[in-house]
Amino acid sequence: MDTKEKLKKILIDDLNLEELTPEDIDDNAPLFGEGLGLDSLDAVELVVIIQKHFGIEIKNMEEGRVAFQSIEALAAYIDTRMESA
Amino acid sequence: MPSRKSKQWSSRSIGSNWQHNVFYTLIRCGGKPAAYCLLLFVVLYYTLLRPEVRNRSSHYLKRRFPGRTPLRMLWDSYLLSLGIGRTLVDRAILGILGPENMYVSPEGTSELAELLAEGHGLILITAHVGCWQLAMSNLAALNTPVSLLIHRDEEDRDRHFFEHNSKKPPYRIIDPAGYLGGTLEMLQVLKNGELLCIMGDRNMGGEGGSVSVDFLGGPVKFPFSPYKLSSATGAPVAVIFPYRSKSGAYELHVAKTFQIPENLGRSAHAYLPFAREFVAALETFVTENPYQFYNFYNMWSPEE
Repeated sequence: MDTKEKLKKILIDDLNLEELTPEDIDDNAPLFGEGLGLDSLDAVELVVIIQKHFGIEIKNMEEGRVAFQSIEALAAYIDTRMESA
Repeated sequence: MPSRKSKQWSSRSIGSNWQHNVFYTLIRCGGKPAAYCLLLFVVLYYTLLRPEVRNRSSHYLKRRFPGRTPLRMLWDSYLLSLGIGRTLVDRAILGILGPENMYVSPEGTSELAELLAEGHGLILITAHVGCWQLAMSNLAALNTPVSLLIHRDEEDRDRHFFEHNSKKPPYRIIDPAGYLGGTLEMLQVLKNGELLCIMGDRNMGGEGGSVSVDFLGGPVKFPFSPYKLSSATGAPVAVIFPYRSKSGAYELHVAKTFQIPENLGRSAHAYLPFAREFVAALETFVTENPYQFYNFYNMWSPEE
């Protein structure tokens, strides 16, 4: 399973997005607002989830800002961080 | 995310620019007594001749003092307006005449220092009471950067104390109208082990959801973002109320401290007990200091 698919499954499970399936989530849709429909406080949850499942601590929130644009961007961020670890 | 357009409160002062400038000039030329003296008459004018001012304060006063006669309610309204007037004058004094002209008790700072020493940052939850800007100046003793989640209306006329002398702000302001309601910036502050101050009595508009808790006999929506941030980062929480004591000095009252269990998750309900703890502390505070609570809008309105 690639990072994007794993990420979608984790988000559905951990954020209780029970009405969605991984296929419903567009790789490039915004995570917040009109896309996946997450709200600003879910960003806190997202930081915790990334650390819990991928062992990546987002310390610099400017990086987080870029990564949190979409599933595509977040998966790329995770892959890059895991490669450099 | 709540719409900013629907909020009933405004951070805008009811005074005009020239009225503010009269006070600033008076403080420079006549010092504290002259400004306090003028304030008595200005507040009297607003209380007697500006019904909208009385109306704004009535939402809180009717609940804090149920069953008051109209005349007594008028007096309560005067005292409440005088309370916020003194706060505004005091913060101008702090900015214009300097911190040596305003005594802030160091009490409470050692308790905050101990919490900060745990190394997870510290979330200070306060409310629109007393004079938080004076408390912020007191936090300098902790030698840790302070960030404050605060929204300022574009047409705000009254100045923050540091703006009187063009000094660098002693705290960093995080705007809840910014990207993701400032959530990422707040997380960064805590990950850096710094101080984050959030108003726990008012949803600023962009930083997340709220939970309903009874306050003075009716349900009010309070933000739960401070508790969620604490749960996610391990930062301890301190409920603080900076207030004007009877002697005219300011004190930083640490009402409560607590540690929120880690990873409580997404549900607002998980944070309800902590919001209730904050509200209980706030009720105790307004019982003891009824004229130092400055939310001049109907917090109990279902639209809020």
